[in-house]
Amino acid sequence: MASQSDPTADPKRFDVSKGTLRLDNFMTHFIKVGGVGIILAVFAIFLFITWQVLPLFESAKVQEEAVIETGVADFQLVGVDEWGELPFMVDIAGDFTFVDIKRVDGETLVLGPLGVYKVTPKFADEVTFTAANYHSKSEEVIFGASDGRYTLVKVEYKPVFDDRGERKIEAKLKADKFYPLGKGLGAVRVIDYYDADKDRLVAALVEGDSGLETRATTFQRKKTPFGVGPWKPAKEYDLTSQIEGHPIKVLVTGQGNGVLVSTREGSVYSFLINQGEISLEQVFQPFEGLENPEIGSMDWLLGNESLVFTSAVGDNVIFAQYLPELTPEEEKAGVERKRQFTEINQLPKLDGPADLYSHSMRNRAFLLGSGPEASIRYGTTGVVRWEKSLDFTPKAGILGSRYETMLLADDTGRLHFYSIHDPHPEGGFKAFFSKIWYEGQNEPKWIYQSSAADAETEPKFSMVPLIFGTLKGTLYAMIFAIPIALLAALYTSQFLKPEYKKVVKPMMEIMASLPSVVLGFLGALWLAPIIDTRFPSIMLIMFFLPLTALIVGYGWGKLPQRYRLYLRPGQEFLIFIPLLIGIALIGWNLGPWVESWAFVYTNPDTGVATGDFRLWWPEHTGVSYDQRNSLVVGFMMGFAVIPIIFTIAEDAMSNVPQFLTSASLALGASRWQTAKRVVLPTASPGMFSAIMIGFGRAVGETMIVVMATGNTPIMDWNIFSGMRTQSANIAVELPEAPKDSTHFRILFFGALLLFVMTFVVNTVAEVARVRLRNKYKTVG
Amino acid sequence: MTTAAPSESPAQTISSPDEQYIQVKDFSFWYGSSQVIFDQTFDMPKQKVTAFIGPSGCGKSTLLRCFNRMNDLIDGIHHTGDVQVGGESIFDPMLEVISLRKRVGMVFQKYNPFPKSIYENIVYSLRVAGRSKKSELDEVVERSLRSSALWDEVKDRLQDSALGLSGGQMQRLCIARAIANQPEILLMDEPCSALDPVATGKIEELIHSLKRQFTIVIVTHNMQQAARVSDRTAFFYLGKLIEYDETQKIFMNPEKSQTEDYVSGRFG
Ligand SMILES: Nc1ncnc2c1ncn2[C@@H]1O[C@H](COP(=O)(O)OP(=O)(O)OP(=O)(O)O)[C@@H](O)[C@H]1O
Ligand SMILES: [Mg+2]
Repeated sequence: MASQSDPTADPKRFDVSKGTLRLDNFMTHFIKVGGVGIILAVFAIFLFITWQVLPLFESAKVQEEAVIETGVADFQLVGVDEWGELPFMVDIAGDFTFVDIKRVDGETLVLGPLGVYKVTPKFADEVTFTAANYHSKSEEVIFGASDGRYTLVKVEYKPVFDDRGERKIEAKLKADKFYPLGKGLGAVRVIDYYDADKDRLVAALVEGDSGLETRATTFQRKKTPFGVGPWKPAKEYDLTSQIEGHPIKVLVTGQGNGVLVSTREGSVYSFLINQGEISLEQVFQPFEGLENPEIGSMDWLLGNESLVFTSAVGDNVIFAQYLPELTPEEEKAGVERKRQFTEINQLPKLDGPADLYSHSMRNRAFLLGSGPEASIRYGTTGVVRWEKSLDFTPKAGILGSRYETMLLADDTGRLHFYSIHDPHPEGGFKAFFSKIWYEGQNEPKWIYQSSAADAETEPKFSMVPLIFGTLKGTLYAMIFAIPIALLAALYTSQFLKPEYKKVVKPMMEIMASLPSVVLGFLGALWLAPIIDTRFPSIMLIMFFLPLTALIVGYGWGKLPQRYRLYLRPGQEFLIFIPLLIGIALIGWNLGPWVESWAFVYTNPDTGVATGDFRLWWPEHTGVSYDQRNSLVVGFMMGFAVIPIIFTIAEDAMSNVPQFLTSASLALGASRWQTAKRVVLPTASPGMFSAIMIGFGRAVGETMIVVMATGNTPIMDWNIFSGMRTQSANIAVELPEAPKDSTHFRILFFGALLLFVMTFVVNTVAEVARVRLRNKYKTVG
Repeated sequence: MTTAAPSESPAQTISSPDEQYIQVKDFSFWYGSSQVIFDQTFDMPKQKVTAFIGPSGCGKSTLLRCFNRMNDLIDGIHHTGDVQVGGESIFDPMLEVISLRKRVGMVFQKYNPFPKSIYENIVYSLRVAGRSKKSELDEVVERSLRSSALWDEVKDRLQDSALGLSGGQMQRLCIARAIANQPEILLMDEPCSALDPVATGKIEELIHSLKRQFTIVIVTHNMQQAARVSDRTAFFYLGKLIEYDETQKIFMNPEKSQTEDYVSGRFG
C-alpha cells in the first residue's frame, strides 16, 4: 500500500503530454494569425478604398507627344476631330490644312500617309474673308466676308476602316451659301452665331457707314417632313447706338436669344431678344474696381451658361447668370426679377490677357494661353488643373472634344500635340467640401447632384449634404433611441424583478437581429402613413407619455407605504403599463381634435379652413413637409439602434459590482439614489460604449434610410423633410455609376468618409471610455 | 442603560427592548425551498458587542443580513417568526426599509468603498438623506474618521480617491462611512478577513471604542478575535443556534460539547 502511494512511483507524472503542448502551441498561433488577419483585412479594405479615391485628388497630367511642321504660318484658327487624329488649320483665305496623324503601336504620334494637305471648300462665291470663328461643338467654321456676308463650313469627320481593319479618320468640307448680315455693310471683323432648330442668331462687328457697327441678325428656316429649307433672313438689329466705347467681341448666348458685346473700355452689354424685340438687359464690368478694367478675353464655357473673362493683366474670373432677390422697395415698385450676370468664381491670375481659349466638350475644363503660358482650368471649382510656361508662344490652340488631347499651334506653323490625362477634373477638396456657386444658382451652395441630364449640365459633387444627411438621420435616431434605451436598461437592470428580466433581455436581443430592410419597409409603408395622417396624435402621445410616467412615478413614491404594499418592488409596471396605454389611447383620439383646433390651414384660393397639420406646417414655418421624413427615419432607425444600446448598457449596469450597490443600499439609499449615484457613474464607460456603438450602427445604417426617406440630399434640420445619407447614397447610386468614372470614385470617397467618421467616433469613444473607466474603476 | 448585569441574565431571555436591543423570535429563514435558519430565538443587548461564530455555511451572514433586510434583494426568500429592533418589528409592512437601514449600519467582509473621494464616501449616507450643508458634512467627516482612527492618516487627502488607500485603511473607511449617519446598530460581517494582523488589531481596537456608542454584531471565524472583542457570543451550527452566552463562558466553559469542540479547534 505504502509503496503504491509512494509519490516516486510514476516518474512521468510531472510530464506534460505532447498533445497538450502541441494543441496549446497551435491554438496560440491560430489565434494570433486570426487576430492579425482581421487587422490586415480591415487595413486592406481601407487601402483599397483609398486607392480607389486617390485619383480624384490628382491634377492633370499633360504630356507633349509630337511636334509636326505644317508650314502654314498665317492660320486663323485650329480645330480637331474627336479622336485627335486629323486636326486642321484655317487661314484667312478660307483654306483648310489638314494634318494626318497616326499613332504607331498606340504610342508615338507620327505624320500619317496623307501627310499635310490643303483643301479649299467649294465656296459659293469668290470673296475675301475678314473673320473666322470655329464652333467645336458643331464642328463648323463661320467666315465673315469683306462684303458684310457670312458663310458656314462644316467639317464632317468620319471614321473609316481600311482592309486591315485599321481606323482612319476622313474629313469632308461642306460650305454653305453666303448670307448677308444687312444692307450696305463692309468687312466683318468679329462674328459669332447660334443655331437653334429653326432659328439662327448671328452677331457681328461689321464695318458700316459710321465705322464699326454692332449687328445682330436672325434667320429662320422651314422644317417639313421632307427636310429643312434654306435659311431666310428674318430680322436685323443694329445695336451700335446702345453701346458706348469700342466693341471688341460679340458672343451669342446659349439659347440663341441674346447677344453679349464687350468693349475695350471694359464693359459687357447683355442684350436679350424677346418676341422679336431686342433690349439691353444689363451692362456690367467684369473687372470693375481694377486699375485697368479692360477686358482681355470673353468666352463661353461648355453649356454657354458661364463666361470666362481674362483682364488685360491676366486676372481670370467666371461670370454666370442668376436671379437676384429683390429689395423690399423694388418689390413694392413691382420690379420684375431679371436674370443678371455676376461673378461666380475667381481663378488664379495669368501673366497677361488670354490670347487663346478653348473649352472641353466633356466638362467644365478650359484652356487659356497667354504668351508662352498655357493653363488648363476647371470652371466649376476654379482650380488650375495644369499650367506650364512653354518654350514657344502658341498662337492658337484647342482641347480635343474628349478632353484627352490638346493641340497648340505656334506662329511658325508648328503643331504641338499633347495628351491629357485628367479623368476626374470635377474632383478635389474644393469640389467636395467648399460652397460652390453653380450655374443657375443664386449663391454659393453645397449641392450634391451626381446624375446630370447631359454633359452640358455641371455635376455637383459636394459631400457636405451627404455628411449632413448622415448626421441628421443619426441625430434624430439617437434623440429617440438614447433616452429610451438607457432608461430601459436602467430599469431592467436595477428595478425590474429578475424573473421578468429573464424574458425582457432575450426579447430585446432578438429585436436587435431584426433585418433593417424589414424596419425600412415598416417605416415606409406603415409608419410613414400613420405619422402623415396622425401627427398631432403622435405628438400628444410623445408629450403625455413621459409626463404621465413622471407624475405617476412621483405620486407612487409619495404614496403611503400601506398602499404601495399591494405591489412588490419590481412589479410596479403592472399598474404602470395599463395606465400608459390608456394615456396613449387618449392622446391618439385627442389628436384630430387638437389638429382641427390648433393646426388650421386656410386655403388661400377657396378660403376654406381645414385642420391639417401637413398644410399648416409649411405655411407657418416656411419649410417643407414630406411624408417620408426624418421623424419616420428617427423612429425606425431608433428601433434598430435601441436594442443594441439597451443590451450593451444593460450589461454594463448589471455588471456594476454588487458590493457597491449593497454598500449604497445598506447606507440607506433608495433604489433610485443607488442607481443614480453608484450604478450610473460606474457603468458610464459601458453606457458610453453602448451609445457609440449605436451611433456607429446608425451612421452606417442603409436600408432604413433608403426606404423610409425620399433620399433628397437637402440640407436643413427640418424634421419633416428627408435626407440622403452617405450609405444610402452609395446603395442607390452604385448600380448606375460606371466603373472608374468620377461618380464611381466619388461613391468610394463617400465610403471612405463613412469609414473615417466611424473610425474617429470609435477612437474618441474608446479614449473617453478608458478615461471614464479609470475614473470609476472599483476595487477588486 | 449600562447598569444591566449581563452575567446574571441567562441566555435567550427576553428582557426590555431598551437593554435587549435586537430580539430574534422563533425566526426561520428560507432561500427558495432550502431552509438556512431554523427557529432561532435570542436577544442582543444594547451597546455591547455580540459575536456570531460557527462553521462556514451555518447561516451567520444570512441572519446578519436579515437585520437590515439586505436579503430583500434576493429572489424567493421568505421567513417565519420575527426580528425586532428597539421593540419594532423589522418586517412590519408599514416600515420603510430605507429608514431601517439608516438605523442599522453594515460593514461588509470585503471593503467596498465607492469610486469617489474619501470625503464623498463618508458623507454618502448624509447626501442620500438630503443633507448637504458643508459645515455639517465637514464635521461628520472629521468625527467619523476620528472614531474609526483614520483621521490622522487621511486628513490631508480627503479629496483623493478612496481607492488609493490600503486595504486596512479602506475597511476602516467603510466603518467610518457606516457610522457617519450615526446608526444605532452596526453589523459587521467578517470585517477583518481580508486584512493583515496589524490592520486587524486596529479594527479590533476600533470595535472596542465604538461599542460605547453603537450596538455591534460581528461575524467572525477568528476565535481569538471573538474572544477579544465581544461581550456575548452566539454559536451556530447548520442554521441552528446552539449556544448563546457571555463570551467568557462560551470560550471557557461552554455548556454544549459541540461548542467546546468548535472553539477549541477540534471541530469537523
Ligand atoms: N443568495 C443565496 N441564495 C441561496 N442560498 C444562499 C444564498 N446565500 C447563502 N445561501 C446558502 O445559505 C446558507 C448559509 O449561508 P451564509 O452565507 O449565511 O453562511 P455563513 O455562515 O455566513 O458562511 P461563511 O462563514 O462561509 O460566510 C449556505 O448553505 C448558502 O449556500
Ligand atoms: Mg458569511
